[in-house]
Amino acid sequence: MNTTDSSGDVRLVGIGKTYGSFTAVHPLDLTVPQGSFFALLGASGCGKTTTLRMIAGLEEPTSGSVHLGEQEVTRLPPYKRPVNTVFQSYALFPHLDIFENVAFGLRRRGIRSVKKQVEEMLDLVQLGEQARKKPHQLSGGQQQRVAVARALINHPKVLLLDEPLGALDLKLRRQMQLELKRIQTEVGITFIHVTHDQEEAMTMADTVAVMDAGRVEQLGPPTELYENPRTTFVANFLGTSNLIEAEVDTRGGGDIVLDAGGGKLVLPEARCSASARTGDKVLVGIRPEKISLTHVDDAGEIPEGRNRVTGTIADASFIGVSTQYVVDSAVCPEFAVYVQNVERDGRLVPGADVVLHWSPAHTFGLDAAQSLLAGTTGSAGVESVEEEAA
Amino acid sequence: MPFVNWLRRRLVVIAGLLTLGYLLLPNVIVTVFSFNKPNGRFNYAWQQFSTDAWKDPCGVAGMCGSLSLSLRIAVWATVGATVLGAMIAFALVRYRFRARGAVNSLIFLPMAMPEVVMAASLLTLFLNMGAQLGFWTILIAHIMFCLSFVVTAVKARVMSMDPRLEEAARDLYAGPVQTFVRVTLPIAAPGIAAGALLSFALSFDDFIITNFNAGSTVTFPMFVWGSAQRGTPVQINVIGTAMFLIAVLFVLASMAVGNRRNRQKA
Repeated sequence: MNTTDSSGDVRLVGIGKTYGSFTAVHPLDLTVPQGSFFALLGASGCGKTTTLRMIAGLEEPTSGSVHLGEQEVTRLPPYKRPVNTVFQSYALFPHLDIFENVAFGLRRRGIRSVKKQVEEMLDLVQLGEQARKKPHQLSGGQQQRVAVARALINHPKVLLLDEPLGALDLKLRRQMQLELKRIQTEVGITFIHVTHDQEEAMTMADTVAVMDAGRVEQLGPPTELYENPRTTFVANFLGTSNLIEAEVDTRGGGDIVLDAGGGKLVLPEARCSASARTGDKVLVGIRPEKISLTHVDDAGEIPEGRNRVTGTIADASFIGVSTQYVVDSAVCPEFAVYVQNVERDGRLVPGADVVLHWSPAHTFGLDAAQSLLAGTTGSAGVESVEEEAA
Repeated sequence: MPFVNWLRRRLVVIAGLLTLGYLLLPNVIVTVFSFNKPNGRFNYAWQQFSTDAWKDPCGVAGMCGSLSLSLRIAVWATVGATVLGAMIAFALVRYRFRARGAVNSLIFLPMAMPEVVMAASLLTLFLNMGAQLGFWTILIAHIMFCLSFVVTAVKARVMSMDPRLEEAARDLYAGPVQTFVRVTLPIAAPGIAAGALLSFALSFDDFIITNFNAGSTVTFPMFVWGSAQRGTPVQINVIGTAMFLIAVLFVLASMAVGNRRNRQKA
């Protein structure tokens, strides 16, 4: 696979979709490099499925254009696009057996001898034995693999996956995630995967675009998104973040020194997405697992140069590999801290006074003009996911 | 007690057999009396076994003419009602248009309206329009009352159909025509077939509406009704039995085809 070859890139240029007065997708630009595994991540109603359907041709964009490599396909109907979709409900044809389902695309393009190709494809998804069964005779996971085979057999330039694992139980989901990743590596086709499951997006994709309310919030490799989120939505939607309101005190030597509730916090300039002139408000973020917890009696042992916050443990829950603490502090009322259970300190119980400390290199800075709670459970987006499931 | 236990274990079978007998008894009578050689003009009392009527089914003046007319009307009414009804059903399920709700409920009216009332009203309409009563007025009336049944049957099927299936077909290189022929139609087929069968049966044996709007034309049900006043020829039973047997053969054939398909799959 030659990754520098851009002839198979998917390019969306200013593509947008409105339904009456409702804007499903704000005009956005997006390039998906050929051969990559790309995930569109967001809560339901964020516009990710609409974006996918516009690439498939099942939805006509209100503005902008869709390009596959050199070809503009904006006005082409779906059956003329070299793109195939795996639907959320699989949409297997109930009146055809597995073999004919997989052969459907080949036959429509007038290919006569389909037997060899179909058998190879069924072997790829390990369903060679089931060729003559009807879709309803297969389990959910098997149906899902048929849907993948039915799309892949056409060697599309891009495979679109619309929440393909949504209907499977957790264990099968994990298994299928690995399976899809294996298939993608094997066939080298560009995959665009729509999901609301942040863990799924991070495990499978090379690049993730986080969407909210019809806009792409941030785009990048999963580690980049997780370690250095640029908006509160991304910080909260991908995992958990502690966000502290602070004010810029001084800056220099590549670092910003902030004042938070009287204490000083250090933040590398490169990890701050907000403008940070002296006196500006900034949100300081830190992931719960980056924080170390030390009892206040041992505070002297904490190395110099680490960010510190003092507080009182409000709650501790032991969950096997780690213990999750909620710490009440002056700068943040519910500081989440995850501590690996390597050497447990018996004094760290609710009511104990502690010092939280972490390396400045793990700190990130966000624009303070955003909602602290964007992307957390209980915000509008997540509620609508539950509505859909109900 | 052993008898009660025996009864308890076989209650479902016994109830089933009794119901089946209740359903089939009239058919048995029709069949048995098609081999009768009645003494007078009425075929109401068993006299002696004979195959005369079976050897000469068209031996009664006018009967086979009326039978072929009824069959022709039933076929055309089925075709007309099925095509129109299926299209209406698709439109009602798939598209949002003004008066959709009204159409949705109005389509049931012909089913709810007492047949005699509808028959008389239709006659009024035809007379006021100056229409010539006969084949065409019967056909128009039959298509009209069959429509609601087809719409109901097809609608149920189309409603339960996942619209993603057609999207999947279009996504897999099927154009609009191919999508319809390869996916939409096969999936809607059981509903359409049910509507068509109902239409045929309803049209073939309709008497009330036909009688009002036929003018001097005589369909098979009208012939049977008419002859019942003067005497019932055994041939009527022959036709009835033959129709029943043909229907049974169709059912058996479709079951055999289904079984063979399943066995191939396994």
